[in-house]
Amino acid sequence: MAFNYDKYLRLEKMPTLWCWGCGDGVILKAFIRAIDKMGVSQDDVCVVSGIGCSGRFSSYVDFNTIHTTHGRTVAYATGVKLANPDKLVICVAGDGDALAIGGNHTIHGCRRNIDMTMIVINNFIYGLTNSQTSPTTPRGMWTVSQKAGNIDPTFDSCELAIAAGASFVARDSVIDPKKLEKTLLKAMEHKGFSYVEVLSNCHINLGRKNKMLSAIENLDWIDSISIAKKKYDTLSEEEQMNLLPLGILKQDSEAEEYCEMYAEIQKVHQGERKKITQDDFAKKI
Amino acid sequence: MGTFTTKNPGNQPVWVNTDNCKACDVCVSVCPSGVLAMRYEKHSTLGAMIAVEHPESCIGCNECELSCPDFAIFVADRKEYKEAGYSFAKLTDEAKARQEAIKANKYYSIEQGAN
Repeated sequence: MAFNYDKYLRLEKMPTLWCWGCGDGVILKAFIRAIDKMGVSQDDVCVVSGIGCSGRFSSYVDFNTIHTTHGRTVAYATGVKLANPDKLVICVAGDGDALAIGGNHTIHGCRRNIDMTMIVINNFIYGLTNSQTSPTTPRGMWTVSQKAGNIDPTFDSCELAIAAGASFVARDSVIDPKKLEKTLLKAMEHKGFSYVEVLSNCHINLGRKNKMLSAIENLDWIDSISIAKKKYDTLSEEEQMNLLPLGILKQDSEAEEYCEMYAEIQKVHQGERKKITQDDFAKKI
Repeated sequence: MGTFTTKNPGNQPVWVNTDNCKACDVCVSVCPSGVLAMRYEKHSTLGAMIAVEHPESCIGCNECELSCPDFAIFVADRKEYKEAGYSFAKLTDEAKARQEAIKANKYYSIEQGAN
C-alpha cells in the first residue's frame, strides 16, 4: 500500500480547487508526510493560512485550522501559540500574502523568534487574482499590472528572514518533493521561528504570457534559477546574481524563544518572581 | 468528491485514481521508464487522461507519486510488493527509449494514435 493521506485530509473537499499541475498540491503532500513522520496527534497541530491560492491549504487538511485575513497569518498564529505553547503551529502564506500585504507581520514574527513554522509558497506572481506583480516577480516578465514588463526589483525573502532574526531559514522547491519533506520536518522540529520558502510553479498566471505554458516548462524554469547551497557558495558573485540557493540557509538552535520568555512574564503576574530585568537576557540590544 | 484508492487493486506496481487526475502531465515527465502516458479522453476537462501503459517496466522509484499534486497516482510499497510475490523491473534501454518517444510526443501515448 502506498502512503495513505486519507487520515489527514478532509475528503469531502477533494479534489483540490488548484489548477492542474499546481505546486501547492506537492507542498501539501510533502507537509502531510512530514507531519506523519513527526508522529504528532492531529489535535496538536494548528494550520493557519491567509488569502490567495495558498489560503486553500488549511481547508484541505484535517487539523485545527484557521483561514484568516490577508497577510495576517503570523499575527493570528502568534495568538494561537501564546495561548497554547505546547501545540505545533504552522503558517502557510503565499509570496504576496507573506511579503507584500503581510510583510510587516512576517518580519516581526521573525524578530520575536516565536516557535512556529512559516511556509511561504513563492510562485513569483499573485495567482488567485490573475497575475499582478508580486514582490518576487522576476524583472522583465509580463504581468497584468505591468504589461510592458515588470521593472520592480525582486525580493530575496530568505535574506529578509535572516536579517529579521528568524532562527531557522531554508529555501526549497517543488521539484524535489523528498528533499522538501525533509526540510519541512527539520523546520517543524526546530524550536524557534522557522521560515521555509518553497519555490512553486504557476504556469497558468505567470507562465501563460512568459513562455511557460505547461507545468513542466515552468518547473524547468524554476530548476534553471535555483541551485543547491553548496554549489552556490563556490560560484563567483557574478554567477550568483541570477540564482537562488536551495537548502538550509540558517539554523541557530541557541536563540532565545519567545514563548519561554512569555512564561516568565506570567510568573511575574502570578507573584512567583519579581520583575524581569536586563540581566535575564544574553542579547540585550 | 473524490474517493481515494490508496489500496492496491490487484497487485499493480502503480495505479491511478482517475477521479482526481487533472491531466497535468507532470507524472509522465518524471517517469524514467515510460510506464505512464496521457490518452485522449473527450470527457476530461483538458481532453486527456493518465493511463498506466507499461506496468511491467515500473522500477518503483516513486517519483510520479511524490510529484503528483492531486493525490491521483500511487506506487506500491517496495517491501509489501515483494512479500506479495512480485518485484519491480530493472531500468532497460527499451524503456528509456519509450520514455524519450513519449516525451517527444508531448507526453501523449505513442500507442493510442491520433484521435
